[in-house]
Amino acid sequence: MPKILLVEDNEMNRDMLSRRLQRKGYEVMIAVDGQLGVEMARSEVPDLILMDMSLPVIDGWEATRALKAAKETSSIPIIALTAHAMSTDRDKAIAAGCDDYDTKPIELSRLLGKMEVLMGGAGGSSAAGGSR
Amino acid sequence: MEPQPFVDDIETYAQDIVDTVREPLLMLDTNLRVQSANRAFYETFHVSSIETENQLIYELGNGQWDIPGLRTLLEDVIPTSSVFNDFELEHTFPIIGRRVMLLNGRKLRAGSHSAIIVLAMEDVTDRRRSEADLRAIETYAQDIVDTVREPLLILDTTLRVQSGNRAFYHTFRVSPEETENRLIYELGNGQWDIPALRTLLEDIVPTSSVFNDFELEHDFPALGRRVMLLNARKLQAGHHGELVVLAMEDVTDRRRAEEEAANAKEASEIANQTKSLFLANMSHELRTPLNAIVGYSEMLQEEAAEQGLESFVADLEKINSSGKQLLGLINDILDLSKIEAGKMELFLETFELDALIDEIAETIAPMVTKNMNVLKIDRAADLGHMHGDQVKVRQALFNLLSNAAKFTHEGTITLEAERQPMDGAEWIVFRIVDTGIGLTSEKLLRLFQDFTQADASTTRKFGGTGLGLALTRRFCQMMGGDVTVKSVPGEGSTFTIKLPAIVSEPVAELHGGDDGDDAVIVSTDRRETDPAPAPSTCVLVIDDNAAQRDLMRRFLVKEGFSVRCAASGEEGLRLAKQMIPIAITLDVMMPEMDGWSVLKALRADRTLADVPVIMLTMVDDPARGLSFGATDYLTKPVNRHRLSRILKQYSCDSPPCPVLVVEDDRVMRTSMKRMLVRNGCRVTEAENGEAALALMREERPSLIFLDLLMEVMDGFAFVENVRTHPEWRSIPIIVVTAHDLTAVERKRLNGNVETILHKEGTSIDDLLSRVLDALDNCAVPRMAGV
Repeated sequence: MPKILLVEDNEMNRDMLSRRLQRKGYEVMIAVDGQLGVEMARSEVPDLILMDMSLPVIDGWEATRALKAAKETSSIPIIALTAHAMSTDRDKAIAAGCDDYDTKPIELSRLLGKMEVLMGGAGGSSAAGGSR
Repeated sequence: MEPQPFVDDIETYAQDIVDTVREPLLMLDTNLRVQSANRAFYETFHVSSIETENQLIYELGNGQWDIPGLRTLLEDVIPTSSVFNDFELEHTFPIIGRRVMLLNGRKLRAGSHSAIIVLAMEDVTDRRRSEADLRAIETYAQDIVDTVREPLLILDTTLRVQSGNRAFYHTFRVSPEETENRLIYELGNGQWDIPALRTLLEDIVPTSSVFNDFELEHDFPALGRRVMLLNARKLQAGHHGELVVLAMEDVTDRRRAEEEAANAKEASEIANQTKSLFLANMSHELRTPLNAIVGYSEMLQEEAAEQGLESFVADLEKINSSGKQLLGLINDILDLSKIEAGKMELFLETFELDALIDEIAETIAPMVTKNMNVLKIDRAADLGHMHGDQVKVRQALFNLLSNAAKFTHEGTITLEAERQPMDGAEWIVFRIVDTGIGLTSEKLLRLFQDFTQADASTTRKFGGTGLGLALTRRFCQMMGGDVTVKSVPGEGSTFTIKLPAIVSEPVAELHGGDDGDDAVIVSTDRRETDPAPAPSTCVLVIDDNAAQRDLMRRFLVKEGFSVRCAASGEEGLRLAKQMIPIAITLDVMMPEMDGWSVLKALRADRTLADVPVIMLTMVDDPARGLSFGATDYLTKPVNRHRLSRILKQYSCDSPPCPVLVVEDDRVMRTSMKRMLVRNGCRVTEAENGEAALALMREERPSLIFLDLLMEVMDGFAFVENVRTHPEWRSIPIIVVTAHDLTAVERKRLNGNVETILHKEGTSIDDLLSRVLDALDNCAVPRMAGV
């Protein structure tokens, strides 16, 4: 059963997403701020992290940078959950090291698709290779 | 007697003088009978000597000299004083009309003659008239001066006041007595003794006879602080000599009003920004609970479906879709407020139009079929790439398509797309054609206004806030294009979006500030505005002769190039634009559009101006070819080895050409190389700019990945060096750097590098994957079979 770490400070969002993911068969762990998110990622080593970006203590961008900089967590794929389809947020998330992003409100099937892509590969990169 | 002739001589002499005098003269005896007159008299009064001599002066010319004033003079003044001067006589003479005569009289004793009275008449009518005129003009001038509402001072060149006008005395509450003939600086207790005014009057006016709008702010005792606008003219005023007219306009109120207007404008701008900020925050606050509504209803829908509670599913679906709709509106409001606050930015990238259209068609499909409509896509074959804000183009198309879907039932919605050259630039034109309810011309007028739908009943029937069209238009305008609409009520509407194929960066911003520094991928344009469409490895052969084309194709393929052929100049130009070949061979003799015209068109197109063109011709006239901008010139039959040698300059010895990695960090370089090789690239590597240049001289790379901070020769110097070689100018350079670029550095690179990838805060895998993306975008040739 894949382990997902959900880092989200909004209680309702957290509740909804965690329950829906659990129903889809994922084991979901919760962190309510960026700092806790980093700590839990270290101790639990989840298969994937869903990271809200505007978080208390340290924000999602900083948490992501910290996780990607540390050897033991750098290979955990991170999907940024940004509030609005704003290209700046999106780009900032990618810049911080997020492997992908999705916009809220969550469209579950779309998010699941992205999660599967990232967990299906052996980690980090979603290389866009292939000859033309 | 001896003396007599002498006297006669004297008399004749005297008569000659008398006749020479231009003034009419009358010689009278003491009885006032005319002894003689001079020629001037007869001529002036149009009389003869016969009707004059020996006549009483009063009887002359029907008594025209019988003037009471003259009688007094001759009968009272002369007998007693024997001289009178400048007796002015105004009289209407029968023939010459009303005249003013100045009379001078002398009683003379002339030798043996008895006493005679010489009466000289000077006609001063004209002089008197011009004097009167002059007086009238002066009065008139003074009247004007007094009528002017602006205070005026007339100064002489010593800056003494000659006069002021009424407005001056009134405004400054002074009298003419305390003003005239005084130095301007002494006026009103020295209130005009202002340094700025001194400069003006003493330095500026003497040298330049005019000055305008000199602004003077000063505390005037009588008026308080005032802003005066001074205008001065130096003028020649006849016998008054040189004068300076100083006009003062009190602009205090106007300045105050201007200031207030500026303040008000600023305040309203601030208020507007506050409003936009409020809207942005508000939208965020609204979105949070909405997320919960949308999320929970969706979740419950899933649960209800699992538990077979079908009746719940439909209602939950309504909650969910309403929530989503509300969310869409909030996002529109947010976008609009961002545009108004000037916070909306363009994110320019090069993207494939076909892919975009496919994606939109897929997204819109459910909305189209909902009203039993059919979606038709009608696109040109050569759509190619666009450089613009993909998100906004998508949203604009989506908005118009969803509108069309909303207002059309059981009809057809067509999305057309084509490229169009206009005003020397390439444009992308989208048309969204529906067979829906259409719009009246009155509704059309209000269509694009914010928050305005065609009419209120539409809102009730179809929903929506009317923001979509306003947003669509703003987006298009931001990209330098626009939206237009044509419609026939009851028959349908056609919305046309025109966008530049290459959208240029808005002038004000250069991705500076916070966002710019955090940005990972900043697309910088090759030249100022146009990005390089993906360069290919193709050589384009333009020749109307099929056999020649085939020959050329086979030869070039054997030499390791890929080849596209065009059978005419027009086709050649179209293909060239689409694929940006590494070089073009161009036949001169072609029907319709000949090689010279093609060459001219190529050189005029900014995206193609750098592509090497090799002219092939029967006629040996290399000067002409080169002067037209041809890169090289070969006569037919073509020396193939020479052609190959020339082309290799723009390619490499054994295609596929290598990708050059210039990076001083060995680990980074190796992992990039490994990954590129894994993806089918041939890779060469260099640890600094100088080593890279040496490598390039041996073999031309098809693409360069470049670190910026390196020893010996850094990336900036390298880029500048590469761009001085014409044959290297078209090689795309992708900067990969951990360095935070300053605006100046960005500018140095701008126009010379393709893309800038940021290393910092990125895992190496991720960076590599983005390197691969960049590689894909640049269409670098790979080994077959990988």
